[in-house]
Amino acid sequence: MMPIWTKSGEKHAVTLLKVQDCHVLRYISKEESGGKTARLLVGGKNASPFSKLESAHEIFKEAGVPRKQKVTTFNVTDDAIIKPGTPLYAAHFRPGQFVDVTAKTIGKGFQGVVKRWGFKGQPASHGQTKTHRRPGAISTNKAAKVYRGKKMPGKMGNIYRTSFGLKVWRINTKHDIIYVNGSVPGYTNCLVKVRDSKLPTYKDCNKNPPFPTFFADGDEELPEDLFDEEIFQFTDPSVTFA
Amino acid sequence: RVSSDGEPPKFQPPPKPVIIDRKTQKEERRFLSPEFIPPRGRTDPLKYYIERKDMIQRRKVFNIPEFYVGHVLAVTTADPYASDKSKRFVGICIQRGGKGLGATFVLRNVIEDQGVEICYELYSPRIQAIEVLKLEKRLDENLMYLRDALPEYSTFDVNMKPVPRMDHEEIPVNKLQVRMKPKPWSKRWERPKYNIKGIKFELPEHKMKAAQKWSQPWLEFDMLREYDTSKIEEKIWKELSEELEK
Repeated sequence: MMPIWTKSGEKHAVTLLKVQDCHVLRYISKEESGGKTARLLVGGKNASPFSKLESAHEIFKEAGVPRKQKVTTFNVTDDAIIKPGTPLYAAHFRPGQFVDVTAKTIGKGFQGVVKRWGFKGQPASHGQTKTHRRPGAISTNKAAKVYRGKKMPGKMGNIYRTSFGLKVWRINTKHDIIYVNGSVPGYTNCLVKVRDSKLPTYKDCNKNPPFPTFFADGDEELPEDLFDEEIFQFTDPSVTFA
Repeated sequence: RVSSDGEPPKFQPPPKPVIIDRKTQKEERRFLSPEFIPPRGRTDPLKYYIERKDMIQRRKVFNIPEFYVGHVLAVTTADPYASDKSKRFVGICIQRGGKGLGATFVLRNVIEDQGVEICYELYSPRIQAIEVLKLEKRLDENLMYLRDALPEYSTFDVNMKPVPRMDHEEIPVNKLQVRMKPKPWSKRWERPKYNIKGIKFELPEHKMKAAQKWSQPWLEFDMLREYDTSKIEEKIWKELSEELEK
């Protein structure tokens, strides 16, 4: 995570996400998948082909791509279908866009009710016998049962969670890095899924995105760094208020 | 000249001039700002490389002078609510923290009997100028104990003129031993954990001995705590000097 300053001098914290060897693996049509839209399977980050069975390598062989560590699905409209085997780059996103980031949270193991659900526990003194971090009562007398989904101790973390509506501040095309506002679930260097935001406030925020994706062998040549309009770039002199 | 033998004095050639090459002597002392050294961790070195590029970019546009803890600095920042749209603060640097772009330094001064400490970010775009007024290192790297010292040690004149520097070589170390206010202090500075050499402890002997109970003499031999930064510093220094010369 890094600080980033706007032209008015305010500081924001930013997470760096690297797009490492992402390729489109397969196209699944709407009828085949049985959903509302067509799907694209995308794989990220190359891994060694020796630790999995040959049968698992079929998808990668069809696309002509080394074995990937993580494979995810994206629901796509029919006009945004990409041919399997195309590489995806960080320039697919542009500064000023809003993005949802999904990842597996840090696993905390088996945790008690105070850490897992934020229960208050009991006081440390004044006669409490062996009861300081326990849940206390779990249901009422009339119910005569414990409801499903009751908050109790258990395995915490290591589940998929999404942070919604994160602004993209800056994109580095040379190293394929996306600077995303705020924090993102997961530990350092973990695998993360980045999608366009589904929040209704950011429905029309993309002005001219590269559609269906940014092709590296195309005609347009992007500069090494793409900045949002409000970012203070370090090539400018210090901020002064007129 | 009177000769000893009556003969004309032997020609003595003038002494050979000793050439002091000031440039090579200047290059011997290198200062790498502590925020360039990456901390120990499992982060990708690419992240530190990119952060360093941004830091170098900022240093090309805005001059951040070399300073240590104990120097007296004057910082001018932009402020939208001030009448002149800028604020100037003079103070002694108590500590330098943070790594990378978020590096900070704390300046302390006593203004009208009120101690004031301001924490500035080195790479914030609101800072318009940093001037070093007085160059002197102190015996410690962290001068937080000035909060519990007598206020005379933290007062610096706001309109102080920059002290002119003679040599471009050594930064003088001020071996001042500071006198403290009566206890209680904000932290127990006599304990060996803080390892402070710049305080004149006027505590009784038995209290100083009792404080040594918390000493951890095995810490200096702990090999897992060693972080050898010499090679990393060499690489970063080369990178820095190449980029700044461009």
